[in-house]
Amino acid sequence: MKTKVMVAMSGGVDSSVALLKVLESGYEAFGVTMKLWDYQTSGGNVSRENSCCSVDEINGAKLVCDRMDVPHYTIDFSKVFREKVMDNFAGEYLAGRTPNPCIRCNSFVKWDAFIQQADILGADLIATGHYARVELRDDVPVLKKGLDPVKDQAYVLWGIPRHTMTRTLLPLGNLTKPQVRQIAADNRLATATTPESMEICFIPDNNYMRFLREFVPDKVNAIGHGNIIEDHQVVGTHSGYAGYTVGQRKGLGLSNPEPRYVQKIDPETNTVFVSKKNALLTFGCNISSVNWLVDPPDFPHRVQAQIRYNSQPVTADLAPGSTGELQAQFSEPQPAVTPGQSIVFYDQHETDIVLGGGIIEI
Amino acid sequence: MKNIYCDISATTPLSPEVDDFISKIQRTVFGNPSSIHRFGQASKAVIENARRQVSDAIHCSPGEIYFTGCGSESDNLVLHGIPGPGDHLIISTYEHPAVKKPAAVLESAGTIVTRIPPGTDGRINPAAVEKAIRPETKLVSIMMVNNEIGSVNDVAAIGEICKAKHILFHTDGVQALGKIPIDLQVLPIDFLSMSAHKVYGPKGVGALFIRRGVSIPPLMQGGGQEKNLRPGTENIPGIAGFGLAAKLAAESLNVTSTHLKNITDRFLAAISHRKIQYFINGSHQVPGVLNIYFPGIDAQSLVIRMDMAGIAISAGSACSSGTTKPAGALLDMGLDRDRASASVRISFGKYHTIADMESVAEALENIVLPLQKEIFS
Repeated sequence: MKTKVMVAMSGGVDSSVALLKVLESGYEAFGVTMKLWDYQTSGGNVSRENSCCSVDEINGAKLVCDRMDVPHYTIDFSKVFREKVMDNFAGEYLAGRTPNPCIRCNSFVKWDAFIQQADILGADLIATGHYARVELRDDVPVLKKGLDPVKDQAYVLWGIPRHTMTRTLLPLGNLTKPQVRQIAADNRLATATTPESMEICFIPDNNYMRFLREFVPDKVNAIGHGNIIEDHQVVGTHSGYAGYTVGQRKGLGLSNPEPRYVQKIDPETNTVFVSKKNALLTFGCNISSVNWLVDPPDFPHRVQAQIRYNSQPVTADLAPGSTGELQAQFSEPQPAVTPGQSIVFYDQHETDIVLGGGIIEI
Repeated sequence: MKNIYCDISATTPLSPEVDDFISKIQRTVFGNPSSIHRFGQASKAVIENARRQVSDAIHCSPGEIYFTGCGSESDNLVLHGIPGPGDHLIISTYEHPAVKKPAAVLESAGTIVTRIPPGTDGRINPAAVEKAIRPETKLVSIMMVNNEIGSVNDVAAIGEICKAKHILFHTDGVQALGKIPIDLQVLPIDFLSMSAHKVYGPKGVGALFIRRGVSIPPLMQGGGQEKNLRPGTENIPGIAGFGLAAKLAAESLNVTSTHLKNITDRFLAAISHRKIQYFINGSHQVPGVLNIYFPGIDAQSLVIRMDMAGIAISAGSACSSGTTKPAGALLDMGLDRDRASASVRISFGKYHTIADMESVAEALENIVLPLQKEIFS
């Protein structure tokens, strides 16, 4: 019997080409669109074509699967998504932190829950349209960056359960986005020209405060206005700490010749602390929720660490932490190290290999 | 792998006779039925012939049949047509959305709505309807056969209650037509909704029986088609197909019922024989329809795995995204969520054979039995 692959189909061009590649590799496949949320619970219906989980996207995925003559199913994952992603998203902002819901979704939903579903449906492997690679190093699978430096998504996959790597296919890891679009066009896939989705899927209007006000109205409305403080001086007022994120410059309502940035958020006192840019620099951070995609190393351990999606990795030394599970010391100070965001560890020599990651704490 | 379609309650395949007839009509009759010329006359004749076929099937007069676009449209016409603000409407909790949603819209505009849940037998108790009636009650709408569990309601008793109190009675008969006898000479029903695609006819055509002497306004404005109830040039091939499908269904009702009863009895014996644990949800089902609880399974996953094995069944009620929710009807009956989300609907039709039934039982054995063994051993 052929190896059976359950392909995660968002309805976009990437997952469509992923399915095509899975079939070209000789596997038997079927597509599954994960129903994660609906406008009823998340609001913000702006009828955007590129928001996943809309009926249009699901229909698009079904059409692509039908053209390739494979079954397609839509499966409801909204309960686990709400628990693991949406509730956490709201909770983190209310704690004055800046969450990354896409990473939570990959870790808990798109890998953990999805592979459990694959077991139920008798699939041997899962496949997704992420731009990353799983390759064998000394017969052990490792997660590597995608070959397209612009689209690489390895950063958002640090939290996937390690055991799932042996069962994961990432058929786009060796392709660039233009190549993927070309393959889709050559094969006349209905989704060839779907626009890139950039925002958080359950906040299609890109207005997270609007989402928070609707999702946890009592808690958000109770916050009220608070002080903006610089050097122990009140320099302005803000409309509620949850609307701010560390490193933010715009929307502070301050007029200084030299721009000010959010340095720290204190939810207890509803205070936003600001500073000049150089005061945002820090030499290290604590790390919680650590996940290793390799055997945990001995400490101290030197890695290349990346602290945000678009930043360049820097050399860092990891050691057991005093408050968090681990502590990172950067070789040079980093700006706006943001609690709640992810820190991802790459191998210091083979810098495209993801060793693991965790959540930044102050 | 042979694919076996056991989702007859969702829709039926087009019968070959109906298919041939529709093709012939599409090729040969194209005039606008409202036109004066012979082309128009030919089309008009097709429609009127179909009207007679449908009325014969349910024993009413042709003038009481109005063609619509679907069963949902028929339901909407009645719901939006009768009760107004301040009036009282009685429906059941497990009506099709084509009744439930208009009722909710009416409610927000000031109609008072009472919703009666089914009993554990899957049926609406006529006494509960009687108890709910008030002086302002204008309309009672209780489906003839529930779409999720297949249970047949005692519409004769409910209709008598309504008639005695001079209240109009609508019944959604979409799941009943072709499955049980419908005799409107006897049944005290004022409105009956029907659909062609549940009786081996084409999609996109429905009908509404309106008892002579009762009138309702149109939902759309336009030409005077269907005696001003349903404007728009008629779907002639669809209506023609519906007519023939209704005729065939009525003619073969006894044979089909016997066949389906035989298949379901043998099917249940076959899964019992295979040591599969199951319980039937509801009672008094129309022939061929089974809503079955398989302890220990997840209905959505079972539907998918059966599909992978080439067998189409269903679970719960499909929503627009294609995911399923546990069948609301089962929850309404008082069954718990665990049982509802472990229950599937298997519906057999007139083309199924004993061999098909055996294949379904075998697939269930392969999929359900290991799960039950794991859980209950």
